[in-house]
Amino acid sequence: MENSEQKFDTEVLSRISNLKMTAINLVEGLLTGQHRSLHKGSSVEFAEYKDYSPGDEIRHIDWKVAGKTDKYHVKQFQESTNLKCTILLDASGSMDYDSPLNEHTPKKMECARNLVAALSYLLLKQFDAVGLTLFNDQVIEHIPPRSKASHFKNILYGLANISPQGSTDIAEVLLGLSERLPKRSMLILVSDFFIQNQDLQKSLKLLCSRDIEVVLFHVLHPDEMHLPFEGDIVFESLEADLSIGLDPHDIQEEYQSVIRGHINLLKESCNGLGVDYVFLDTSESLDQALSYYLLKRKSLIKL
Amino acid sequence: MSLNFSSPLFLLGLLGLTFPVLIHLLTRRQQKRIRFSAVYLLAQSQKRSIKKSRPNKLFLLLARCLIIALLSMALAKPLFSAKTSESLLPTSPASIVFILDDSYSMGTRSKEKTLFNYALEYLYKGLKQAPDNSEFSIVLASSPARIVQDWTSDKSNFINKLEAQAVSYRTTYIGDAIEKAVKLLESGKQKKKTILLLTDLDKNGWKEETFPKTTVPYPVQVLNFSELQSEKNKEMIENIEISQEFLTQSRLLRVKAKVKNFSKTVNRLPLSLFLEGKLVKEELLDIPPGQTLMQEFSYPLIKNQPLNGKLQISDDALPVDNSRYFPFHPSQNIQVLVVDGDPETISHQSESFYLERALNPFSVSLSHIDPTVSTLAELTLRNLSDFSVVILANVRELPPGYELKLEKFVLNGGALLLGMGDQVDPKYFNEHLANLLPVQLESQQEFKAGALNLMLTNNNHPVMRVFSPKTVEEMREINFYSMYTVQSREEKRFKVGAWFSNQHPAVIESEKGKGVVILFLSSLDRDWNDFPIQPTYLPWIQRWTQYATRGLENISRKDLLVGEPFRKNTTSTKWIVRGPSGTFYSFENDIFTKTFQPGIYSLFSVPPADTEEQKVLTKLPQGSKPVGTFTVNIDVRESEPEKITQKEIESLLQGFKLEFLEPQSQAIQHKESEAIPLATPLLLMVAAIFLIEGWVLRND
Repeated sequence: MENSEQKFDTEVLSRISNLKMTAINLVEGLLTGQHRSLHKGSSVEFAEYKDYSPGDEIRHIDWKVAGKTDKYHVKQFQESTNLKCTILLDASGSMDYDSPLNEHTPKKMECARNLVAALSYLLLKQFDAVGLTLFNDQVIEHIPPRSKASHFKNILYGLANISPQGSTDIAEVLLGLSERLPKRSMLILVSDFFIQNQDLQKSLKLLCSRDIEVVLFHVLHPDEMHLPFEGDIVFESLEADLSIGLDPHDIQEEYQSVIRGHINLLKESCNGLGVDYVFLDTSESLDQALSYYLLKRKSLIKL
Repeated sequence: MSLNFSSPLFLLGLLGLTFPVLIHLLTRRQQKRIRFSAVYLLAQSQKRSIKKSRPNKLFLLLARCLIIALLSMALAKPLFSAKTSESLLPTSPASIVFILDDSYSMGTRSKEKTLFNYALEYLYKGLKQAPDNSEFSIVLASSPARIVQDWTSDKSNFINKLEAQAVSYRTTYIGDAIEKAVKLLESGKQKKKTILLLTDLDKNGWKEETFPKTTVPYPVQVLNFSELQSEKNKEMIENIEISQEFLTQSRLLRVKAKVKNFSKTVNRLPLSLFLEGKLVKEELLDIPPGQTLMQEFSYPLIKNQPLNGKLQISDDALPVDNSRYFPFHPSQNIQVLVVDGDPETISHQSESFYLERALNPFSVSLSHIDPTVSTLAELTLRNLSDFSVVILANVRELPPGYELKLEKFVLNGGALLLGMGDQVDPKYFNEHLANLLPVQLESQQEFKAGALNLMLTNNNHPVMRVFSPKTVEEMREINFYSMYTVQSREEKRFKVGAWFSNQHPAVIESEKGKGVVILFLSSLDRDWNDFPIQPTYLPWIQRWTQYATRGLENISRKDLLVGEPFRKNTTSTKWIVRGPSGTFYSFENDIFTKTFQPGIYSLFSVPPADTEEQKVLTKLPQGSKPVGTFTVNIDVRESEPEKITQKEIESLLQGFKLEFLEPQSQAIQHKESEAIPLATPLLLMVAAIFLIEGWVLRND
């Protein structure tokens, strides 16, 4: 028992260190000369003038303008509080998909882990608070957002201990979380979005209405997009669906159109709500996804 | 409503269904199992593409199976009839006598089966539908009618009994069968009683005098199977006549056949002559419709042996009457040249007077011996090769050089009989006929009345076998007044056929080349004895003549009809019979009755000890010798295609409740005209499935 625990611990530790290294490498590489923090100097930056009304702090009155115009104007500044980001990682069975065809392509969970670690590192480096929530049809583990650099370890530990199982119920989980998440915080949702009959749009709408910035990372393995299998195959579900026996060749085209439709639907509903949607193919490198995301952030800041 | 198949053998093709199934199973790839995330999306995709995916394979398998099934069904020529099959048999328990016509006309082929097969099929079907507690019995209606199964309620036993039945070669005898059926019905236990007559209504089987009169109006259902005949009996060999011409070195066999054409068109068919199983001659005959044609074959016979032959014409619906067997015994009409050495103007004083009458008392057709009397002067005009026996009766001297001719005649298989008399010159005989005679003639001895008789103690000689002990006794009393004494020659072998009471030989026989020389040491007329006026003289002379030509066991009647008994003409030896199928039978009280199969029957004489020990013979006992053959042929009256009409039956079967039925309405076998053939629609379906399959494959 002791041995196994020990073994487990060392395994977890090595995984954590790997994860850490990957995350750091990713983020550092991207940040060099590129990154501009979202919050740097934001607390002293001028936003607009407003007519003085009783109750406004007198020290915010711009006396120079008062001297010129004989009217009291109050300077308003952008809020300078640090960001609280919650990363929501899907730990349902479907995330554990391992391709029997291409062993070099990383597993979805592997990819998601690296992404989460990298994002956490990035955010913590900016002194933003990062939390991690693992879920399937309910919340499995919740690590509350902290901005301390040492919090990265907690997140890494949480990531290393994931064993994907169970079915997915994002809508339910988001509904529960929307109450708990602080206003104006950020929510990063990493999942394969294999959800049936669930109103994800409604949940996203709810989050948006609470001023929560939502970013969706849609992680899919190439097998799940192209269905490259051949022969008579019985597909066993990683979640709770019934097994199905068929020749994939017969339905390949149909499946590809279905999955494309599924991705497009998600993308469109995200666009409609102003939610960021990032598609991640596990066969492609994470840099692209991250850089895309950061570029987008930058452009937002510019605006 | 029923479906029947004309060629049900093709239904075996349904076994071919296993091939597409096997191929499908073998080519099915090994199923792999993969744990997949988006299984519900796969299910959605499958639902959308349901027409194109997996079921296609099943559809193709189904289509291919259908093609094979429909094709084999189409080849089996299915006939569909919308008529419902109803049971003919009473629905309540009854006593039913089935009269099954097993005469050979029921062997008429219709497609691949015979009418008899159809009748049996009908019976099986009928029996299955018959209510329990019914009792059944079978009477076979061929001559003589016989009960093969008495009352029984055991259906399976009854069916077994039916299965053992086959078409016989006999003629129909409906009257006798109905009489037997009526007797059976009288002992039937059930209240309801009925007779079911399954026949082809061949007119031959219905004779007025044979029908019983009944007081109880039993119902008789007559099922006419002749309607099922797809083709008629076209021709038959009606009769064969055999004659022969005797020549010294060869004989000419003449076979005269009457062939009848039943059809309404001129029938051209080959008539083949088989001798001892070998085809020897063939002629093409053109027989006008409804006519009988006579055709004669001549065939030279070298060997002096009995032959069995067969005439055959091409097969038609009834093959039984297309061949006919005939026996040929060379002893028939033995041509005998009687050389009268002492002719007189008063005929009865001639040497040959008694001889000629003994050899041919009434006509040639009875004795089968045809004597020609010749004087010595006429002898040179005669051609010896026209005769098989030469009798020299009291001849003094032959024409110069004629002894050489005689010698050649005997060497080639002729028989020479010599009778003594006052004209005989022993010196001439001993000198000129030394090569032929095994003995030397010494001198004539005279005796008083009653002093010299025939001894006849040992009657084992083949010539003496026909004589009863009483007649032999009579023969012993015949007075001989004169005889020749003889002296044996050196290195000459001979047998003594009969002895005189004074221990001198009476008859000496010896073989010379292929022929025989027989010497009778007294006269053949009344000069030296009283023998010619005795009743035993006639058979004695005839048998010696036949014996000389090796036709002794000539059987009086050698061509029988099926069912006719064969009678043995001797009681002294045991005989057995080998039938055409190789089975051995023994005689019962010198009569052989099992002549139920047409063909050649061989007779064998058996040492007495053997036949008593073995009752069932499987092979010829040791020491048995062939003694002859006889042939059995069918009675051609049954072949006539004429059928009896309903009216005639009604007048014959007065007192019975008659019902006439056609078996095809009973859904046994439908005539093509009444049933709908399904072969073409099935083939069209096959073509359609091929098209669909091709289209599906192309789309795939």
